This record gives sequence, structure tokens and C-alpha cells, in this order.
Amino acid sequence: MAITAVNPGFRMKKKRSLAPVWLLSPAGIVILAVLVAPIIYLVFTSFTNYDQRTLYTGAFDSVGFANYVTLLTDPDFWWSLIRTVFFTAAMVIGSIVIGTGVSHLLTRLGTAMRYVVTVVLIFAWGMPNVASSLVWKWLFQPGYGVINWFLTQLHVFGDMTNVDWSNNAFLSYSSIWMLIVWQAVPFIALTLYAAETQIPAELKEAARLDGASEWRVYRIITLTFLKPTLLLVTILSVIWDYNVFNQIWLVSQGGPDDATSTLGVFTFKTAFVGFELGQGAAISVVTTLVLLILTVFYIRNLIRSGEDL
Amino acid sequence: MTTTAPAGIGTDVPETADEAKKISRAEAKETRNRPRRRKKVRWISNTIAVVFSIVWIFPVYWMVNTAFKPRSEAMTSVPQFLPANPTFHNFIVAFTQGDFLLYLRNSAIVVAGAVILSILLGLFASAALSRFTFRGRRTIMVFILVVQMLPATALLIPQFLIFSQIGLIGTYGGLMLAYVGAVLPFTIWVMRGFFLAIPMEVEEAARIDGASTWQVLTRVLFPLVMPGIIASSVFAFIAAWNDYIVSYTFMQDQSHYTLPVWLASFTTQTTGTDFGGQMAASVLFSLPVVVFFMIIQRNLVSGMSAGAVKG
Repeated sequence: MAITAVNPGFRMKKKRSLAPVWLLSPAGIVILAVLVAPIIYLVFTSFTNYDQRTLYTGAFDSVGFANYVTLLTDPDFWWSLIRTVFFTAAMVIGSIVIGTGVSHLLTRLGTAMRYVVTVVLIFAWGMPNVASSLVWKWLFQPGYGVINWFLTQLHVFGDMTNVDWSNNAFLSYSSIWMLIVWQAVPFIALTLYAAETQIPAELKEAARLDGASEWRVYRIITLTFLKPTLLLVTILSVIWDYNVFNQIWLVSQGGPDDATSTLGVFTFKTAFVGFELGQGAAISVVTTLVLLILTVFYIRNLIRSGEDL
Repeated sequence: MTTTAPAGIGTDVPETADEAKKISRAEAKETRNRPRRRKKVRWISNTIAVVFSIVWIFPVYWMVNTAFKPRSEAMTSVPQFLPANPTFHNFIVAFTQGDFLLYLRNSAIVVAGAVILSILLGLFASAALSRFTFRGRRTIMVFILVVQMLPATALLIPQFLIFSQIGLIGTYGGLMLAYVGAVLPFTIWVMRGFFLAIPMEVEEAARIDGASTWQVLTRVLFPLVMPGIIASSVFAFIAAWNDYIVSYTFMQDQSHYTLPVWLASFTTQTTGTDFGGQMAASVLFSLPVVVFFMIIQRNLVSGMSAGAVKG
């Protein structure tokens, strides 16, 4: 800005520089080719009857809105959508509540203990989700799984040894919920902790001197300060959990009886198991539209939280 | 950390005698109770922390524990919390029967290509979006944020169709390209942050000395954003290394599988329900990622909130 005042010509010249164009073009071309063109093609495909036959013959017809009509009258779709919304809500609430708790816990610990918890968090976070899904199947294995053994030892639920978690809708979902929350908490906890350490200590001290209870200090001062971060983390979690695919696919394949089949699983099954690619594309378009709405919230908050574009 | 301030210093001067009495009473109570209360709070916090740590590390511990057990010890009705006869047998199985090195090579080729390409492209693009002012910059930034959020499952169908028409399905190049698309917006976003942190004066000084735009970039700016290059390389590495669904859809020939697909098919392909083998393979696969997470943990939080590795 100062430059503008001293020498307006300098900035003008810079503005006309072609440098940004050639700096941006390579990345721009790749993004257009690999992301934008496919999305346009996705919309196009959703209006065709592209299927397995087409993969060999290349022949397909335009079917207008038929795929969308099929979709909107298909109870499987509506159930997948309902499940996705419900699952996302349950996972986000679980991970945000635990994450907020752990973040606050970190502020209460001595250096050594805090280091231990941080390392533990990073281990859980760093596990690739394909590996963690396999570990989950092993933990919840009927007969030899350590979770079933542990639950049996509690003597609360009776003999759980041979319970097959993948055979029951509720249990199957519970195990996936635990897997997602287990891996989501570290990011949330560490992000919130970083924000929590920025709160000026004098504020809390003053409130304590005025006789406020710890809970009130937390609720009135800490949570107020954490609000923007908390909101951002929540929106991101919603987007990520809405998109969860690997863990569900690897742990339950959407089963039993589609009980854990979310939109992602439904799309994948339609497009790559049944090879109804046109129909799958229509589901993807709807999924993406919902996601775009969520993304708008995210971007608006990023801008509001001071990220300058 | 929390020494009690003497009354009157650093706090507001009480207006009435009544108020003053109330404050001093509360303070006296605080000072009296504080050491004991704080000790108790510390004790409770530590207990919760220990319980939490045990629960949260358990899956990792159980993976490692099982990986070092002989089969007879892994499949017992009463779980054994330490291997009685630790063995590398499972790892040997992963390397020999599982052909770990072949899939490691596949993953290495694709991931290395994707990381190098996305860093190079991202470096130039983020320089443009941070060190230059031009019309439409804001629009481009928003656009990048939006494409970054596109769900992998939605891109999968059209990418699969387009790539199969131009013969890229099943090739390293095709998979690499899909990964570049997935991580490029994010690397641009992260590196841009590092560029913005460089003071304008540095660039101006170089310009006054007669450096061209290219020289300013390569001699001055790029070396200064090295930490950003490293951080976003690690992010790109993790995203590409962990991907399952794209690789699973694109690489139909088993000899071209990448590690995650190999790992997921390990059960049925080679060893049946050999959990020891599966866990050993999982350890091998997770190790580099966990190591990287440890190294860049400081950058992780700020980077992830800017959009991040897709969960």
C-alpha cells in the first residue's frame, strides 16, 4: 500500500505483469483436466444410461432426468441419505464432545503427562484408515476378539465371546462409530488445545478471584474464546464424516443388509458393483450438491475467522 | 502459574466497604483451599489422562502385539497381553508370501510422482496467489477451496470413465494424476500461507538489486518457503499413501496394486484369517505415516484446519 502512495506507476506495472499467468497455468490446467472436467462429465453421465455394456461398446443413450426420477423414488436412496445424516450427526457430536474434553484435559496436565497424551493422540491420528479398519475387525472379531473378551469380563452383558458385531445393525454401526471417533478426536483435541492456550490467563484468574467456579470459568470464558475454532472444526468434521467411505466399506461393506450403507457406499455399489454408472453419477451429483452447501458454510467461516483470500 | 495477587494490585479497587469485605473473604478462602484443591484437581486430571491414553493407544498396541505373536498365541480365547514367544514370522510372511516389496514399489512410484508433481505445480501457483495482486485472485482462492472439498466418491465415476477412454486406467500415470488432482488444491493453500509470511521488503530489496521475477522466485522466495514445501510434501505423501478407493477402482491388475489395496485384500488373497499376518502388514504400512506425523506434528494442526487431508 505504501508503494502506491510513493510511486503509483510501480504498482501499475506490476499489475500488468504476465508472471501470475504463467505461474498459475500449469496447476490450472491440471485442476481443470483432473477435477473440473470430470465434474462436468459427471453431470453429463448422470443424464445417460451408461452401464457395463457401454464400457465395452461405447454406446449409451441420453435418458433425460430418468436417473433422477429413479433415484428420488428409490427407498434405498432415501434410506442411505437418512443414514448418512444420522451417522454424520452421531460421529460429529461424539468426536466434538470428546475432543473438547481432551483439549481441556491437556491444559490441566503437567508437561510430562501432556506429552504422553499428545503422542497417543498422534498415533491414533497417524494410523492410515485402511490399517485401522483392519485392526478394528480384529479387535471386534467374534471368538478371539479382545473387545468381546473384555465385555464378557465385565459381567454386565453376559457372555459376549461369540457375538458377531458385523451381524447386527446397531453393533455394526457402533463399532464403525468408535473407529471414526477414535481417529477424529486427535485433530479436534489438538486444534482446540492450540486455541485454548491462546486465551489470556489473566481473564480466567480474574474470574476465579471473583469466586467463579471452574465450570463457570470454562463455560463463560474458555468456550466463548473457543467458539470460532469450535465452529470451524465442527464444519470440517461434518464434511469429513459425511464423506466417510473407506472405514465403512472395509469394516462392514455397508452390511448387514445395507444397515450401514451411507450415500458413499450406495454410490460405489451402484456404480462399481452393479456397474450402473449413469445411475451412480446421478447419486454423486446429489451428494456433491449437499456437500457444496456445507462447503459454503465452511468458506464463509474461514473468511470470517480472518483468513484473507 | 497462578500466584494469588495481593488485594488492590492488579485488580479493581473495591468501591464499597461491603464489596471489599466480600472480595477479601473470597480471596482468603481461595488462598486457604487452593493448594489442596489444586492437588486434588491435578490428581483427577492425571487419572483421566492415564485412562484416556490407555483406551486410545489400545488399538495401536493391540496391532503391534498381535504382529509379534505366533499364530498359536494370537488366536486364543483368553487374550495374551504380551507375546510369550515374540517372533518375526508374521513380518517374514508379509515379505515372502505377501510380496510386500512389490506393492511397496508400486506405492512408492505413484506416491513419489504425485508428491513431486503437486509440489512443483503448487509452488508456482501459490507464489502467484500470494506475491502478486491481480484481478480474480480472490475468486481463484475460493474456487480452489471448493474443488478441494469435492468428495472422492463423486470424482471416482467420471475420472474412471475418462481415464479408461484414454487408456490411463490401470497405469501408474493415471493413478498419479488422480492423486495430483486430490492434493494439489491443498498444497497450494498450505504453501500460500508460507509465502504470505515472507515480508514484502525481502522481495523489494531483490528487485531493487535488479533481479528479474524469475530470479526473485527461485533465488529468494522458494528457499524461504522451504518449510512450507516440506510440510505440504508430507501432507501430499500421507494423502496419496493412504488412498484406498481410487487405487482399488483404477488398478485392476493385482501386480499393480498399491499398498492399501494389497493390505485390504491380504486376508483373502494369501493367508485366510491370519490376523498375525494382517497386523504385521498393517504395522509395515502404518509405520512411515506415523513417523511423518511425529515429525510434522507442529504443522499438522495449522495445516489441517486449512482444509486438509481428506478423512
